[in-house]
Amino acid sequence: MNRRQLLAGGAGAVLASAAAAETRFRDLPEAASTDSPYTQVPPRPGSGPDYNPVVTLNGWSLPWRMNGNVKEFHLVAEPVERIMADGMMARLWGYNGQSTGPTIEAVEGERVRIYVTNRLPEHTSVHWHGLILPSGMDGVGGLSHPAIPPGKTFVYEFDLIKSGTFMYHPHADEMVQMAMGMMGLFIVHPRDPAFMPVDRDFAFLLASYDIDPGTYIPRVAEMTDFNLWTWNSRIFPDIDPLVVNKGDRVRVRCGNLTMTNHPIHMHGYDFEVTCTDGGWVPKSARWPEVSIDIPVGAMRAYEFDAIHEGDWAIHCHKSHHTMNAMGHDLPTFIGTDKTRLTQMIRRQQPGYMPMGTAGMADMGEMSMELPDNTVPMMTGWGPFGPLEMGGMFSVVKVREGIAPDDYSDPGWYQNPPGTQAWEWTGELPEEVRQSSAATVITPKSHLNHDH
Amino acid sequence: MKHVIALAGLALLTACADTATVKGASDPQAGFAFVADGANRSTGAKAAWAQTAADVAANEARAKALVAGKTIGPDTAVQVALMNNRGLQAAYADLGLSATDLWETALGPRPSLELSLSGIGEASLARSLEATVTGAILDLATLKPRTRIAEMHFRQAQLEALAETLALAAETRMAWIDAVAAFEASSLIARAQGTAEAASELAAELGRTGAMNRADQAREHVFTAELAAERAEARLEAQLAKEKLTRLMGLYGASTDFYVPDRLPSLPGRRPGRSNAEALALQHRVDLAIGKLELEAIAQEYRLTSQTRRIEGAEVTAGAEVERSDDNETEVARVLQASLEIPLYDTTKLTSRRGALEYSRAAHELAQHAVNARSEARSAHAEVTGTYNIARHWRDEVLPLRREIDREALKSYNGMLTSTFELIEDARDGLEAQLSTAEARADYWRAEANLKTVIWGPPAGGDE
Ligand SMILES: [Cu+2]
Repeated sequence: MNRRQLLAGGAGAVLASAAAAETRFRDLPEAASTDSPYTQVPPRPGSGPDYNPVVTLNGWSLPWRMNGNVKEFHLVAEPVERIMADGMMARLWGYNGQSTGPTIEAVEGERVRIYVTNRLPEHTSVHWHGLILPSGMDGVGGLSHPAIPPGKTFVYEFDLIKSGTFMYHPHADEMVQMAMGMMGLFIVHPRDPAFMPVDRDFAFLLASYDIDPGTYIPRVAEMTDFNLWTWNSRIFPDIDPLVVNKGDRVRVRCGNLTMTNHPIHMHGYDFEVTCTDGGWVPKSARWPEVSIDIPVGAMRAYEFDAIHEGDWAIHCHKSHHTMNAMGHDLPTFIGTDKTRLTQMIRRQQPGYMPMGTAGMADMGEMSMELPDNTVPMMTGWGPFGPLEMGGMFSVVKVREGIAPDDYSDPGWYQNPPGTQAWEWTGELPEEVRQSSAATVITPKSHLNHDH
Repeated sequence: MKHVIALAGLALLTACADTATVKGASDPQAGFAFVADGANRSTGAKAAWAQTAADVAANEARAKALVAGKTIGPDTAVQVALMNNRGLQAAYADLGLSATDLWETALGPRPSLELSLSGIGEASLARSLEATVTGAILDLATLKPRTRIAEMHFRQAQLEALAETLALAAETRMAWIDAVAAFEASSLIARAQGTAEAASELAAELGRTGAMNRADQAREHVFTAELAAERAEARLEAQLAKEKLTRLMGLYGASTDFYVPDRLPSLPGRRPGRSNAEALALQHRVDLAIGKLELEAIAQEYRLTSQTRRIEGAEVTAGAEVERSDDNETEVARVLQASLEIPLYDTTKLTSRRGALEYSRAAHELAQHAVNARSEARSAHAEVTGTYNIARHWRDEVLPLRREIDREALKSYNGMLTSTFELIEDARDGLEAQLSTAEARADYWRAEANLKTVIWGPPAGGDE
């Protein structure tokens, strides 16, 4: 990241405004910035201890420099514009041009020095969630240290005494600042590269927002009824897929900074939780899962061997979390005959389309005009039709022959012949129906017959 | 010999008649040309005086041809009223009676010979004939002033007939506006009822599928039912308004088979400009003209001749000219040109205290009328510009916002962010705004019609 990118990110106003700023920040590491909403795979570290970088979905990792044996980062808390999906931009607060902020990656045993510049209109602080550090570095404004006033830069410095999956977020006017999108991942890699190595290491944070359709800024006073459910402040259909080479060992790290739990469910695999924000889970303590419930304010990493080729859905299992903004006061129109009604309404509203009479799937198929800056509540198109999804949904794409550093979308999976559901066109047997609500005990004679 | 003298006297009396006045006043349409001309200049319609059954039948036939089976505009309505309203014809008959009075006065004294001739050859005959002629000669001495006063009354009668004509034209025009506005409101309410019915229909359907309880269904139905009552009221109002128009146009029977448009004309493209309504009112108002004649008649009657000065009407009561201060100076200057002059007489030379008082009363009354007329003209002009601005505000500011709400409501509905009910509710609110817009437009046209009335005649229901 260079200074030019910083400016392009729209975040450079303060830095670029005066030559004095140059001098002021002369001794600080560069405050890199990006405005790209796409996944940026970080390079292998060129200096310091080696590690296998994580891939932050629709995000990036913060560049650093070595100052002696201290790894230095520069975080800038500032207003940002985040493209949540094609056709939808959110005015959020974030770090270094993005929300969620860039992922900080370092190695167990390293000393980190993190400069935090506050370009928000109010004070802030950074709490390093899950890390073991001196009390004065814990980032609780007013408790650990004075909050960072607007325009000021504070320095956090501590040793990384354990590896694992962590995050950072403000602990000053926290309700507002987190509702505005301030958060980022903090990954500490094991010092021993042979400790639980994986080929692909994905990471994302769950965040929820309440952005009314047609508006741009979250309603920060909302406590429960959020309407956008995001991974790294992106929503389906524009969350990047998790691209995997067949046979890879894959780790998925996920942190929850919303106000509710999320049962993240992945199709096609059994997996085990291998890490929490408390640290690595001993093998003896793991059990197989296909969903993990990620509690509020917690992190989980799970691992699997990518042996099953295909396109596998990965999503939160709360079904309204795989929807984008929608109304919750809608009557159920299923079975409602709207023929006459349609004629009546069209006299006033010629563009009226009756919807919902057979369910809501028509929403996924029709593309009708929506309020500005709004993504349909159920959308996305797969190889066989509409996906009717939104929010916390993506696809794990396991393919043969994907290069180690290749994360680009390989397209839709071609099911081998005979491995895809097909239409039965033969005769249907007579249906057996039970109309009584009473318990029916299967006749014993029937069981006996099987012997 | 006495007979000869008496007969010569009679001949002389006949010769003394004001032949020009007699000729004018004896015309069957005496004085009507003035009324017809005034009516035509102010309303554009032709007034007709029906004096025979054939005239009435002809007018009725023409009126029928103008309206039967047709959708009529305000000008047609006024035209039909002026030829067909029988109340107006009664007022014209009053004008005729006044002309007859003038005719009789101008003819001079008419000795009653029938009485005298019954006693031919007797001595009493000569005496009674003589007495008749003497009385007639005495009458003759006062013929000129009496003719002038009768003429004055005749001119007043003309002005009154014109006032009646203008009042009827104004009332008819207003009734046409009211009727059209009522039909427009009725059709907009009918459309609003259409949206209510849609909600009702949807509620019933949701009740059928089990998605809406009885209370919520009833809530949608009761709204529809209430709106139906409102619609019936609006229809009745429109019907009654049209009936009033029919009445003013003097129509009955098959001729009532006419229509008015569903919608009032759009606002004129240009904002009504600065007005010389005040000056025009002082110049044209029939009630002021009648007042001036009254003043003249009093002066005649009491032989007030030495006029000392003329005084501007407003000065008499206010003592000083107080002009409307507008933000534009040129307008003030224009208004200043408007004046009504009232002649004042040197009361010291008056022969009669009564005459001075009567004249003063009439002069003050006229001055107050002039002040009122000016104020009415200013009010009417303010109303025209004010209602125009309000109607335009509804049309250019409120309606576009309502249309935007409708567009956005549809988008929200498309996104399943809001339900059909909310979509319907927004559409209904939009119709309400259209209704208010139509009402504001009707107010403008009413004000426009009223301004005409204020300039040409006394405002409806105003003092005369
Ligand atoms: Cu969820």
